[in-house]
Amino acid sequence: MSIWPEERLDHVDTEGFHTVDMTINVGPQHPATHGVFRMLLTVDGELVTACRPYIGYLHRGLEKLSELNDYRQAMGFWDRTDYLAGLLCEQAYCMAVEKLADIEVPERAEYIRVMLSELSRINSHFMFLGAFGADVGSFGTSFTYAWRERERIYDLIEEVSGDRMFPTYCRPGGVTMDLPENFEKRCREVLGHIYQGIDDLDGLLTGNEIFVERCRALSPLTTERAINLGVTGPVLRSTGLAWDLRKAEPYSVYPHLKFDIPVGLRGDVFDRYMVRLAEMYQSARIVEQCLEQLPGGPFLNPNLPKNLRIDDAEAYVRIEGTKGEYGVYALAKGGNKAYRMKLRSPSFCNLSALSEMVVGHYVADAIIILGSLDIVLGEVDK
Amino acid sequence: MTAENVTLPPLAGAIKKALPKVPCAASLTKTDLDLRVAPADLLALVQGLKDHPDLGFDYLRNVTGLDMQENGLELKYHFYSFKHGHTVQVTVATPPGESHLPTLAGLYAAADWHEREAAEMFGFVFDGHPDPRNLLLEEDLRIHPLLKAHPLQPVEIVQGIEDGRAGFEF
Repeated sequence: MSIWPEERLDHVDTEGFHTVDMTINVGPQHPATHGVFRMLLTVDGELVTACRPYIGYLHRGLEKLSELNDYRQAMGFWDRTDYLAGLLCEQAYCMAVEKLADIEVPERAEYIRVMLSELSRINSHFMFLGAFGADVGSFGTSFTYAWRERERIYDLIEEVSGDRMFPTYCRPGGVTMDLPENFEKRCREVLGHIYQGIDDLDGLLTGNEIFVERCRALSPLTTERAINLGVTGPVLRSTGLAWDLRKAEPYSVYPHLKFDIPVGLRGDVFDRYMVRLAEMYQSARIVEQCLEQLPGGPFLNPNLPKNLRIDDAEAYVRIEGTKGEYGVYALAKGGNKAYRMKLRSPSFCNLSALSEMVVGHYVADAIIILGSLDIVLGEVDK
Repeated sequence: MTAENVTLPPLAGAIKKALPKVPCAASLTKTDLDLRVAPADLLALVQGLKDHPDLGFDYLRNVTGLDMQENGLELKYHFYSFKHGHTVQVTVATPPGESHLPTLAGLYAAADWHEREAAEMFGFVFDGHPDPRNLLLEEDLRIHPLLKAHPLQPVEIVQGIEDGRAGFEF
């Protein structure tokens, strides 16, 4: 087995055929790589014998920028990591700063954050369903179905924060502004469409035998191997382990909310798809509960200093991102800037398992396996 | 990071009891228990954390490099145990100019990319790493951008000086 393109391996198979391994390049500009991601596949006929991923095309120096800008400025860079669910990243960043400085967050702000984060999670999973459907071969149909609902969620987020993808809506200590007056009505309207949209995609994809047959039993992962590889999120849960940071290490107001953790049985591509599909219903359930329980009161801690300065403190804050454990390591050593901020990116860790997962499968299936990991390159490359 | 009088969680006692031979200093961060070890004891500690049934740290959450300037580089590992649900942070400080550490890629497959990232961003050398190429940066680039001393504006000029590649004469 060789991963070096220059080491072309000649070999003779059991039936006497003389074959030569070939290296093919996929990406970085390729629709199946979901962004600027490149992999070199060494193939023996149609079978992948080695895979070498190349990342970093979207590296923007997030961690350096977070050291150079003060705590409030730096937040704007963080929703550009997982740009399909910007609010989740903002929440993680703000939680890290709040942990360092012992800032209290009003309960209303926590509920608003959780509500919008869960909407973002639905948004990100819609993106997965659309793109994954296209990977497997439903052409544009799944994409258009998913996009229809994503637009509705983006509209709602825009009504709240003023921006669609990069809201910059959270602040250390709360959120920038209160919800608009008709939010509850609008949110329930969007939720109705979301349920309908998930059902539509469920029918389109899960109800399609070709789709199911392509995904079933493909590249199964065991729980032990997934843990050793550092794989988290829906991919880990598809192996049967019900580990979700919202329950395992509860944060924010998740202890007050009722939801289930969907798990898979075999850890194959189909289970990864089904886990995400089921998670969307749970997220919608959380949003509904937040709407019912939403308390009054301030949306931003009124006692915040104008210029936040933090003395020596260190924290590793982690939340359940859309792709897995989204962790922020933060170290403060006085002053109004962080000494070090590090993103533990779930897509990065999940993607590191790719080369192992595609070996022994067909090239066409390698694309599906990559799609089933649901990476977002903004988060991989930082 | 915290004052001496803070009471450590029971996990600190459990680790002390399970691994009495590994010298390490325990303290608390805002979120987790921190163990500070010397680079020479790192492998023994991590092996013990992973294999001992009372500890069972089977998941490497995160690896963070830090530039402590005149005190050299530091590396922070975060481990989690799915069996017990506890987390520990392990800090290793390397003296200036000697940032060699043993690789953990043999114990945790997750360490592979984390270590490659720390190596290119800070200049750590992970002895025995299976694939020590640059990951996020260009493959032949030998700059370490997350060092505090790394200049911001004239990065291209620094590339030219450090690389000595043709076409980089400024």
